[in-house]
Amino acid sequence: MSETNEAILVMEDIDKSFPGVHALDHVHFDVRCGEVHALMGENGAGKSTLMKVLTGIYSKDSGKITFEGREIEFHNTREAQDAGIVIVHQELNMVGDLTVAQNIFIGREFMKGFRIDDKKMIEESNKLFDELKIQIDPKAKMSDLTVGKQQMCEIAKAISHQAKVIVFDEPSAALTEKEIEDLFTIIRDLRDKGMAIVYISHRMDEIKVITDRVTVMRDGGYVGTLITNDCTKEDIINMMVGRVIYEDPKTESHVPADAPVVLKVEHLNAGRMVQDVSFELRKGEILGFSGLMGAGRTETARALFGADPKTSGDIYVNGQKVTINSPQDAVKYGIGYLSEDRKRYGIVVQKSIIENSTLATLEKYMKGAFIDKAEEEKITQKYIDELSTKTPSADTLVVNLSGGNQQKVVIAKWLVRNCDILIFDEPTRGIDVGAKNEIYKLMNRLAEEGKSIIMISSEMTEILRMSDRIVVMCEGKKTGELDIAEATQEKIMDKATRDIA
Amino acid sequence: MRLSKFKQNPFVKKVGFNRIILFCVMILMYVAFCLLVPGFFGKARILSVMNYVYFLGFLSLGVTFVIATGGIDFSIGPVMFCCALISGYTMVFKGAPVIVSIIMSIIIGFIFGSLNGYLVSYWTIPPFIVSMASMNIAKGVAAVYTKTQSVSWPLSTDPDNGWFRNLVSYNGFPVGLVIFLVAAAICMIVLNNTKPGRYILCLGSNEEAVRLSGVDTKKWKMLAYVICGTLVGIAAIFFVGAYTTVQPGYGDQYNNEAIAGCVMGGTSMVGGLASIGGTVIGVLIISLLQEGILALGFAKDIQLIVTGLIVIVVVYADVMARRRKN
Amino acid sequence: MAKKKSILSDQRFIVLLVIIALVVIYMIFSPEFRKYSSILSMLDFSYYDVLMAIGVTFPLITSGVDLSIGTGMVCYALIAGRLIRDFNIPVVLAMLICILLGCIVGLANGSLIGIMGLPPFLATLCTCMITRGVSSMIMATPWPTNKQPGGWFHSIFKLTFGSGRSATKIPIGFVLVVIFVLIMEFVLNHTRFGRYTIAIGSNKEAITLSGVNVKFYHVMAYTVCGLFAGLAAIAYAAVVPTVQPGTGAGLELDAIGGVFVGGVSATGGYGSVLGTLAGVFVIVLLKTGLPYVGLQANWQQIVTGIVLIGAVIIDVIKRRRLAKEQ
Repeated sequence: MSETNEAILVMEDIDKSFPGVHALDHVHFDVRCGEVHALMGENGAGKSTLMKVLTGIYSKDSGKITFEGREIEFHNTREAQDAGIVIVHQELNMVGDLTVAQNIFIGREFMKGFRIDDKKMIEESNKLFDELKIQIDPKAKMSDLTVGKQQMCEIAKAISHQAKVIVFDEPSAALTEKEIEDLFTIIRDLRDKGMAIVYISHRMDEIKVITDRVTVMRDGGYVGTLITNDCTKEDIINMMVGRVIYEDPKTESHVPADAPVVLKVEHLNAGRMVQDVSFELRKGEILGFSGLMGAGRTETARALFGADPKTSGDIYVNGQKVTINSPQDAVKYGIGYLSEDRKRYGIVVQKSIIENSTLATLEKYMKGAFIDKAEEEKITQKYIDELSTKTPSADTLVVNLSGGNQQKVVIAKWLVRNCDILIFDEPTRGIDVGAKNEIYKLMNRLAEEGKSIIMISSEMTEILRMSDRIVVMCEGKKTGELDIAEATQEKIMDKATRDIA
Repeated sequence: MRLSKFKQNPFVKKVGFNRIILFCVMILMYVAFCLLVPGFFGKARILSVMNYVYFLGFLSLGVTFVIATGGIDFSIGPVMFCCALISGYTMVFKGAPVIVSIIMSIIIGFIFGSLNGYLVSYWTIPPFIVSMASMNIAKGVAAVYTKTQSVSWPLSTDPDNGWFRNLVSYNGFPVGLVIFLVAAAICMIVLNNTKPGRYILCLGSNEEAVRLSGVDTKKWKMLAYVICGTLVGIAAIFFVGAYTTVQPGYGDQYNNEAIAGCVMGGTSMVGGLASIGGTVIGVLIISLLQEGILALGFAKDIQLIVTGLIVIVVVYADVMARRRKN
Repeated sequence: MAKKKSILSDQRFIVLLVIIALVVIYMIFSPEFRKYSSILSMLDFSYYDVLMAIGVTFPLITSGVDLSIGTGMVCYALIAGRLIRDFNIPVVLAMLICILLGCIVGLANGSLIGIMGLPPFLATLCTCMITRGVSSMIMATPWPTNKQPGGWFHSIFKLTFGSGRSATKIPIGFVLVVIFVLIMEFVLNHTRFGRYTIAIGSNKEAITLSGVNVKFYHVMAYTVCGLFAGLAAIAYAAVVPTVQPGTGAGLELDAIGGVFVGGVSATGGYGSVLGTLAGVFVIVLLKTGLPYVGLQANWQQIVTGIVLIGAVIIDVIKRRRLAKEQ
């Protein structure tokens, strides 16, 4: 700890608006040499935006950034890198077809005349890896490495920039426990060498372990900064969520004990990410799927839905064995899937709400060979009202709606289809806080109406608040099943991080 | 400001602002040619332009469906020639009646369309590679079958088979135009008011989302290519109806013109957005250019330069508009 | 962990086997093919294909395409040839003009795609139309023959000693293109330009964030492609007795097809110029060799189409298997 150190980087009164969104509202942030400073907040709190302003990906509307005593403003990441501020991105920015060494030095290759000096790049990479005490072959192709190793390469790349400030944007999201430990060793090492580290994460446990100070953001605003050792988890959580949004966790299951099983999955296998997964879903139940990123939950859902091929496994809907080889089959048996990545898998953004709403049910809205557009509009309008989707009209292109309302369009699509089993994959990702609450209410209502819901979520609070029962996965395997009455964060975390291998 | 008001007008919104501009450009072009070339004004020239419109129009209509899926087909020109050559050869040298040839031509187009569609959609081969292959195959098959001879379809004076010319024009009445416009209207209805059209447009915009909605995207994508192939088979009839003779080994240039017509009309190359009305206007512009440039005494292919430049401008405007939105 | 790749899984090796098999089959079934002169003429007609293919490898690796190289090549050869005839410029200057024109068109393509953001397919389709239009305005042009002044340039590709039937001819053009292939293979693997070309095809976003001037290298990829189209124009003029205006459409397909057969991934990000050389020779062997074994020349196109689809299907199957493993 080095409280005497001067702040190397200070951001004051940073303000940034996008059309329709006040993304950053006079935010303060500073980081000192030799400290790990956590930046916390819910999804959409503005953490990533703040860091993008820092490194010149976005330009700020107002405010001041001081780095090493001088006021600065970067116009692109290159300038920020050259000054010594580097981000290790959440989504990895690697060129899969090039080797590790080629990736680390991309954009600033060592040259011998015309020729790129690959030999020297490999040597330098080895030096970096030695420094970090990790073992990676610089000649390996990037796409052949595990996600954890790729992350290490990103870090090596950051260090090779002579960085003074390194920003880690949710680095642990996709890592195994062992890899996280390695990562922490490296981060401590860097801190002790006097670097300033910004650590963005959702995970409370990590924050307590690795950081010196915590700054909390909420809805684009600055909430406060705490010294990690002097505060409790609850303090931080309270600052993050405020009191309005989160109700207490569910204490007991709302499902009657005799509710029939509507979906039974036995010994489902699909690739490396889904190994021998079995579970049951009952009528009117919300079954939470918890686990770390990359635990295989989405893969399980996709295999169940027929979106990806499966190797083996039996599926029973309402007691009858069914074959699901494609989404068509799944939809036929009344299963609907709401993907975590709405824009890619959920909606057709360049089309209207009407076209999206009836996408799974078009045959019901035909008059002979033609689409009955009046009937289509009627049903769409019905669900716009019912879900209180905010839109000027049913004709509006989905691209013009906010995240929460886009999600409602996807939900409407499956409600029009009258699916009995709904798979919600990260239903509130990228949705602002108010809309989140509405989605929760909606899910509860659907469950009361007798629909059965599988909810995949990485947010612990969401899992504890919504689920009647919780399935926990880790590294492609189901590692536990808990009734909500007995579930706690700790129990779930324990199962989610169990190193089965 | 008045312009933005004009854009908000319900009629303008329905038809599309760009299409109205394009239509005006077409009228201006016609007026300009009439002023520059003595005797350009009149029925004869229009009929001559129409001869080009018919076959190019069918090609363009067909490729509009394919581009709407986000794909491309530039085997259409050679496939059209292949249809005309094989069916024509069967008639002229093997004595088949013309009606059989017409059906044959459409069937050959259908087969090529199915083949392209199958490879693109079930084997996920990039459309332009499939086009390249089927273009070679079409040329090769036609040349092998006809032993590299050119084929002349019967003239209207032919007692048995000449009647097919009436499909293009009957006593000076442009029957072909009527058929073409009816076909365009059908295409418009299919694209906007039927299930296949809806699915084709949606999957062009986001195939994965449509698939995850439980739609058999592969089938509908293939259908787009099949529709295209069939229309190409019909285009072949109109080509020989107007120009009589086809030679093996050619036809490439019509790909470019057909695609240009479709893109000019506002069909987006990234898929999901298609306008049949725009395609019709685009085809009219290209045909008019071709006729006008010939009439001005330039080489026919200069039309290609002008078309190329127009397409670049139109597509760039489209790219810019999309960038501004984001 | 990276698996050791067996040589058998390298597409270039398979292609090499195909070449050897084709040559052996031809040799066995055709005494004609065994003659030196046959090999010589086959090589003569391979140079321009190889040169075009070397160039177009780069846009294809960026997951783009250049369709203008065929018509472009003919256009440059015509313009330079005309300048020799009408203005008596020295041949060496004409050659430089070919290269320069190629670079200019390549630069235009690159700017349209890399800077203005047009889809590669469409942008180069337009320049294809434009170069074709330009070339159709120029009279058919023979470059100087062997015996005329300036005919020395033929010796770049084929050294001729003596005259008449007893002349000894050495295909040094082959050595030349192999040198070009080696140079460009080096450029692809060991220079910034090559590395960023691969990166653009693999993950454009990533290298943009690394601060690389992506636009510049994107434009460069097309400019290099244009440069080789210019070189191809010289090779083309050396073997074609008279360059015909308005031709060249379809020639690019042989080159592009060769690149794919040679193992460039249809989705970009991976490729090798050596593979391209091998791939083009498969196409050339099919194009020029089939008549020797008694198949009509036109079968060549059919077989080429099928081989192309086959090559890409191998790629698709490989990728599917990889996806299944994960």
